[in-house]
Amino acid sequence: MITYRDIHKSFDAPVLSGVDMVVETGEMFALFGPSGTGKSVLLKTTIGLVVPDRGDVEIDGLSVSESDPVALLKLRSKVGYVFQHSALFDSLTVLDNVAMGLPEDTLQRLSTAEKARRVWEALETVNLEPAEVLSKIPSELSGGMKKRVGIARAIVGGPKILLWDEPTTGLDPVNTAAVERLIKRLSKELEVTSLLVTHDVEGGLDICDRVAMLDGGIIRFCGTPLEFRACPDPVVQAFVDRAAAEAALDMVTDTYV
Amino acid sequence: MKHEYPATLLLPAPVVKWLAAVGRVARVTAEHAGELGLLAWRILVAIVRLKVSRREITTQLYIMGVQSLPIVFVTASLAGIVTSQQGGYQLISSSPQYVLGTLVVQSVILELAPLLTAIVLVGRIGARITAELGTMVVSEQIDAFESLGRDPVAILAAPRFIAGVITLPLLVGFADVIGIAAGMIAANLTIGLGNETFIYGARLFWHNWDLVYGLSKSIVFGAAIPLISVHMGLRTRGGAEGVGLSTTQAVMFMILTILILDAMFPPLMLQ
Repeated sequence: MITYRDIHKSFDAPVLSGVDMVVETGEMFALFGPSGTGKSVLLKTTIGLVVPDRGDVEIDGLSVSESDPVALLKLRSKVGYVFQHSALFDSLTVLDNVAMGLPEDTLQRLSTAEKARRVWEALETVNLEPAEVLSKIPSELSGGMKKRVGIARAIVGGPKILLWDEPTTGLDPVNTAAVERLIKRLSKELEVTSLLVTHDVEGGLDICDRVAMLDGGIIRFCGTPLEFRACPDPVVQAFVDRAAAEAALDMVTDTYV
Repeated sequence: MKHEYPATLLLPAPVVKWLAAVGRVARVTAEHAGELGLLAWRILVAIVRLKVSRREITTQLYIMGVQSLPIVFVTASLAGIVTSQQGGYQLISSSPQYVLGTLVVQSVILELAPLLTAIVLVGRIGARITAELGTMVVSEQIDAFESLGRDPVAILAAPRFIAGVITLPLLVGFADVIGIAAGMIAANLTIGLGNETFIYGARLFWHNWDLVYGLSKSIVFGAAIPLISVHMGLRTRGGAEGVGLSTTQAVMFMILTILILDAMFPPLMLQ
């Protein structure tokens, strides 16, 4: 279970102003919100990549901000993080990129063959052909392939929690749908807790058990997808309508332009 | 963001603005000093805990050292030639010719080789490190290292720091030899000074301490360049524009730091 308690964070201006949210173990949870409302910042507080000015995040009862470096390392090894633009290491091959997802001590213990086998399995799980991509460097991959390699890196270590930061950003509708199906399948197959930050409202509503909306630095709504669609709050309604209009425009643009 | 000053302040507005600017500079300077100190400490911890990859150190030694040899060769040659020619022009009618050997050797070893090699490395290596790490910050690769339980300082900063501290003295030693040899050839070709006379002048005022002084400088410069460039790279914010800005600032910061450190050496080591 991930618990966010009264999270405050400011950069030049306040971004998060008291976020309270709970993601239950094993559920698939989506976080929506207009651009620049701090969704990714909140996601990064989960494993201490961003330190809140006030408040705390707990993972299975363990405080992130009070963890010493060793405890934080242990905590991060339970979490797989899929970055918005994949964040693959430019100078490493796909093999080495995905292998970086294994804990450091495990990686040192494994033989080269065993390391390659685990990477191979992870790549197959995300529907990539390992033999084709294993020796390539990220600049030789397409956008969709990079996303999948990023996902393979996040799952290769056998995480208990998966954090997805806008995993469909920059993908065409076909790849978007494929990645969304992959997210849903992986979350079920690996029996992990998933927290998905996305601008793709329809996709998020389709695949998640519960959703929340972040607006003005606080959680404006939290509930099931059905409750979200029926929410009478005008701010939520305006967001849903705008997201639907943007999705329709994207579809027209992708089809005709 | 534009600041507004309280109307109740008794000082004239320009003075208040000036004081505010001084305060901002002091704050930024303190921020840099604190972050640099912390980075140096984390690098030291990574080295002591043997967390630094030897393969990465070797790669950085090759990039910083071997690949810098041609540009260091050219710079040192020209420095030696120009010193020799200008020295010859100034001394030919007023001093014994062998003094030119002293002048070239002392200038190259004490000042020109360490300083010019460091400046060359600022452009060739320092800017590269800042741009590389800055790009990794804005593309979230640094966050990715941390999310995977890896320490980016041990992986990226420490090997570059170690390579800088090893490489610069070696390059300066190389520049010393090339600069002096080029100066000797130039003295021979321009004022007809024989090699024996040049070497006689060089040995007449030779102090082993001068070599220690020049190499000590190079070790300090070799530590400063990767430390500042990594620090500025990791501070990068924004996109491509942010990378450009931090790279420019890093180059200015490194050159200024090297010149200041250079000015601090004579009172510390040449008294």
